[in-house]
Amino acid sequence: MIKCVIWDIDNTLLDGIYLEAADQLPDADRELAGVARELASRGILQALASRNPPEAADYVQAVTGLEFAAAECGWESKAESIERIAAELQLGQDAMAFVDDDMLERAEVSASLPDVVVLTPEEAADAPNWPQFNPEVITAESRHRGEMYAARRRRESAAQEFGGSREEFLRKAGTRITIGRGSQQHVPRLHELSVRTHQLNSAGEPWTQDELARLVESGEHVVPGVMLADDFGDDGLVGAAVMQTHPAGAYQVPLVMMSCRALGRGALDALLAWLCDAAAVAGAAEIQVPCLVTQRNVPMRLALAAAGLRAEPAEVAPDGRAIFSRRLTGQLPELPAYVEVRDRL
Amino acid sequence: MTAAASPQDAAAVVAELRQILVLISARTELAEVSADTPLFGSGVGLDSLTGTMLLRQVQRRYGVDVAAEDLNLDALESLSTLAAFIAART
Repeated sequence: MIKCVIWDIDNTLLDGIYLEAADQLPDADRELAGVARELASRGILQALASRNPPEAADYVQAVTGLEFAAAECGWESKAESIERIAAELQLGQDAMAFVDDDMLERAEVSASLPDVVVLTPEEAADAPNWPQFNPEVITAESRHRGEMYAARRRRESAAQEFGGSREEFLRKAGTRITIGRGSQQHVPRLHELSVRTHQLNSAGEPWTQDELARLVESGEHVVPGVMLADDFGDDGLVGAAVMQTHPAGAYQVPLVMMSCRALGRGALDALLAWLCDAAAVAGAAEIQVPCLVTQRNVPMRLALAAAGLRAEPAEVAPDGRAIFSRRLTGQLPELPAYVEVRDRL
Repeated sequence: MTAAASPQDAAAVVAELRQILVLISARTELAEVSADTPLFGSGVGLDSLTGTMLLRQVQRRYGVDVAAEDLNLDALESLSTLAAFIAART
């Protein structure tokens, strides 16, 4: 499935060449800009890679009405630009498509990054009909994904200029985290999160909509969801967990997941604190999180360690999982002041 | 490779780690943080983001992959435990 389309500017998204404009800058290429907007509405990110000055990106944004999740304008090779965008958006190369009218640029990208899907503008015009550009579920969060990434770019550059601590920045940015129990309306997004999250995912496998629909109704489970917003933008439902509320002694948490957009914004720590608190209030003595141990989800293990969960014994089972647990006595992890807890989301 | 690292090595590593911590957290006051202050929790407040950055720097600088060797990340208890973990492997 393609998660990001990276567009060239000259004679691709623009009907002409930006730097060769005499007195009037070229207009948007109507057909391709329409394709980009259509794909964006399906939750596929749009980005730019162009040998142009950075102002060109702002101009293309203005004439196409698109919000670009990333823009690499400069004189380096397109392959280097694509690698940077992949790192910035934390996407695999096989989740990216690249569109350029220039045959040599396409050849260079195909040779250096064989997993990237490389398209001519003509092929791109037809791409909305192809299965890899048609995600199975489209949620409110996916429709606004481009805007959220654009907000993220603004937030990150403000954070760099800020200079103070991360926590001070989160307060200054008006960070608002809301945690409450999810219901049927959240099921498509919960499924999508289970498919798309990797770095902050304890289960390491997708959960079906049917399973999740059953769990939000189940009297023996709670499914807390986490909404995240700040003055830069509203990220919607960014994370969730599934907690089994029986047997009474030790509550099991077979799933904890969080979008990487929420990384460093306190949302996962808040969710783990909520789980500990909810289990303790219900009288459980212990909470257990079976976690698939991979190189990719080290950030999840860091959050578990920060919340005081440990694997005892410190061993990974043959299925690749270790059970991280903590007793619910003594000082439990605390919710930051900007977290609002509700009964229902 | 020697079995045990000298105290001087560990102290030098602590000083370097402190600098890394200041860089990734953008908190200058951490230049004074004691070697035994807990990294998780209110002291330094390491989280998934800053923790990942710290582990990446440790791997780049010392060639030690803490996450691969230490399931519970106990090495991240404090700067002194992390320095000892590194010193024992370099």
